[in-house]
Amino acid sequence: MVTESFDGWAVPPGTLTDFVLAEDGGVRHPVLDAEAARGLLVALSAARENALLRDTVQERVRLLGRAGARFLDPEDPLRQEAEERLPATADISPEMARAVIEGMARDWTAERLAALLSAELSQPEALDLFVPQPGGGRARAFAPALSFHIGAGTVPGVSATSMLRGLLLGSATLVKPGVGDVVLPVLLARALAEEAPRLASAVAVLYWSGGSGEDTERVALETADLVVAYGGDATVRSLRDRLPVTTPLVAYHHRLSVALVGRSVLSQESLPGVASALARAVALFDQRGCVSPHAVLVEQGGDVGAGELTEALARELERLHRVLPPTHLAPSHASAVHQLRRTCELRRAAGENIELHTGPGASWTVVLESATKLEPSCLGRTVHVHSVVDALDVPDLLVPVGRHLQTVGVAGLGERVDEVAAALGKVGAVRICPLGDVPFPPPWWHHDGRGPLSVFLRWVDLEG
Amino acid sequence: MVLAPVLSPSPEAGPAEPSFERLVANLVGLFQQGVGEALDEHVFNGWALRVFRWQFQQNPAFRGYCLGRGVTPGTVRSWVDVPAVPTGAFKRLRLMSTEEGREPDAVFHTSGTSRTERRGEHCVASLRLYRSTLLPTFRVHLLPDGARLPVLALMPSPQDAPTSSLSYMIGAVSEAFGAEGGGWFATADGELQEEELRRAVEGAVDTGAPVLIAATAFALAYWLDGLARDDLRFALPEGSRVMETGGFKGRVRGVSRDDLYHGILARLGIPMNRVVNEYGMTEMLSQFYEPAISRFQDSDVGLEDRFHVGPPWVRTRILDPVSLAHVPDGEPGLLCHHDLANIGSVACLLTEDMGVAVADGFRLLGRIPGAEPRGCSLAIEELLEAAQAR
Repeated sequence: MVTESFDGWAVPPGTLTDFVLAEDGGVRHPVLDAEAARGLLVALSAARENALLRDTVQERVRLLGRAGARFLDPEDPLRQEAEERLPATADISPEMARAVIEGMARDWTAERLAALLSAELSQPEALDLFVPQPGGGRARAFAPALSFHIGAGTVPGVSATSMLRGLLLGSATLVKPGVGDVVLPVLLARALAEEAPRLASAVAVLYWSGGSGEDTERVALETADLVVAYGGDATVRSLRDRLPVTTPLVAYHHRLSVALVGRSVLSQESLPGVASALARAVALFDQRGCVSPHAVLVEQGGDVGAGELTEALARELERLHRVLPPTHLAPSHASAVHQLRRTCELRRAAGENIELHTGPGASWTVVLESATKLEPSCLGRTVHVHSVVDALDVPDLLVPVGRHLQTVGVAGLGERVDEVAAALGKVGAVRICPLGDVPFPPPWWHHDGRGPLSVFLRWVDLEG
Repeated sequence: MVLAPVLSPSPEAGPAEPSFERLVANLVGLFQQGVGEALDEHVFNGWALRVFRWQFQQNPAFRGYCLGRGVTPGTVRSWVDVPAVPTGAFKRLRLMSTEEGREPDAVFHTSGTSRTERRGEHCVASLRLYRSTLLPTFRVHLLPDGARLPVLALMPSPQDAPTSSLSYMIGAVSEAFGAEGGGWFATADGELQEEELRRAVEGAVDTGAPVLIAATAFALAYWLDGLARDDLRFALPEGSRVMETGGFKGRVRGVSRDDLYHGILARLGIPMNRVVNEYGMTEMLSQFYEPAISRFQDSDVGLEDRFHVGPPWVRTRILDPVSLAHVPDGEPGLLCHHDLANIGSVACLLTEDMGVAVADGFRLLGRIPGAEPRGCSLAIEELLEAAQAR
């Protein structure tokens, strides 16, 4: 692990000349005044035609994929730098850093980007020219000239993926990652500069901390043709207020995920696999991801019950504590974990039916209790297990969190999966997937319910 | 770790204590010895063990909790070995330690930071004991000169807010040390009665009689905003003072503590060294104060150098947030208070507040920063609010 500061920006040569450096959370970053920020954005927009639009979308896929694939090669110097830099800046362990890079970069290859494109657009060439429409006439998809991506910093890699989406569509792209997610977009932009320098002249990654980047942020919000934002509900609300009314905002606000285990995998035979997938979903990103499960709902009527699953899950979390260790837990999280654990002990002592399994320090916690309503986890690998009579009872439990509900990882539903998925969708879930796939949705997933590329596009119809 | 099953009540509790009333009477006697002198370690320890024995005997949930951790009165030699109860547990359980069947004198509710948060409840078995800890501590930190002052309370009266421990406390203070001319200046739902308050302040200025203002930092900031808006300034008579509470986090909804205290000086004419921060919690009967008047009256101790002290019957440990082990001196950690006055509930409380030991007290660092999960995973409060809004 390296300790010196990381240079948290990557801009096309010559676009930033005169700036002051500041530092925040181990990340060095330029502080721009409004004029410099405007200059940078003008340069990005001006480069767009030559950098992005001279090529077809398929060519952009090839070039972007070449840069992205470098992060899958353990010998590649940029991949190695990512591994060295991620732990300190993202506050994760080296083992977790490797797992996150592998999981994220898997979707940055030309093959996966091409699959994303064809999943989203039945005629990808509509990005290059007017194409015939089934009902007659022709249409062409236009990407925003300049898209501005604001990351949350919670999960490393998210803003790099967002950047790829913009560039793939042919949008000049400014990325402002959160402090915990600076490394991957910066290194990916550097990879692009090496692999496809012309294309890289339309992308800038620039970190600024709250306050220091007021000018840049204001200028970017005024100038961008579309804004993509990841963050808390409050962040999204404030952005909505600050954007010109004509600028579309693609907002990915707070989300919460759960898991549902059906009775057909509740057997001695299947238990280890289920527990292992569940534990991995909880532990990855140290449970900071929107995909990270807060609770596990376990159906009754299987050969083994919720109690046995809880024990197996606890064993797996203990194993992952060693092979996918957490970093130090923030005082706030550790305190919340101790409050929860000790309150559970007291409730149990008071006669409530509640079981508690804990790891060393505040490292992981599993609580088994009956529940009439779902309570969000205090995170830090803390998961609540609840027994339910039937999988079809789960949607009702999730109603109160429906607007924030995202992934429901499922197993053991057999032929009932369509019926249960429909009921989950009705209350707000946007992704139902096998337990093992929970941490990394495929690139073409309907991100929080909407097409990840189509949400960027403006269609122009050419009739007659 | 998996918890051992809870044993049926077979307490190895040692000699039985006579009765709650008797213990209360003894503790009141102890508290009457005064706030000035620290208790010897062995005196405090002896009392803490008695209190522990009592709570172990009388509180089945606490007893089961201790047994689950392998702790009994037989194994505890020192008060630091008593298992700490998390303040969050008051949101789930009634933690009374009295003879079975005894009804509490009062039930106070925690305020909660959002309207949807689960509220905590502290069942106070003896209000007499509550008064016996709060009054001498208040007097030594706010009224060391023995003054009797009208109390202007920027909060609802105890009749209007029967579940507020703060209203009860200020009611008790007004009764014991107050003078003619005080009053309650907020409605039952917490709305500040600015007009009445202004008249009371003008009255004090006219008669030249000093007053004591008791308020949450939030109410003060709100009031000062109003005074600034109307461009009003008062010079309250010398000897006036302020007890503010709840603003210890360094900020009060966008107002820094420095600004708040400067506002008090500018709008009310009360100097900073006459403004005392109180740090208390519904779950605990004793309070901590900054000794701004009691010790620093004539010296210029900056806000950043202030710290809190409690009465001798309270001891505070500072624990590592992860391991819950003692931190080395000077390191920040979670505050864990041991309050003998809490004999009717639980004496040893693990809080979510951070602090660092200084002198004979601690400097509050506030509720731990970002006490909610960060980033795209759902913040609990937002979730609950969203759920409530539907």
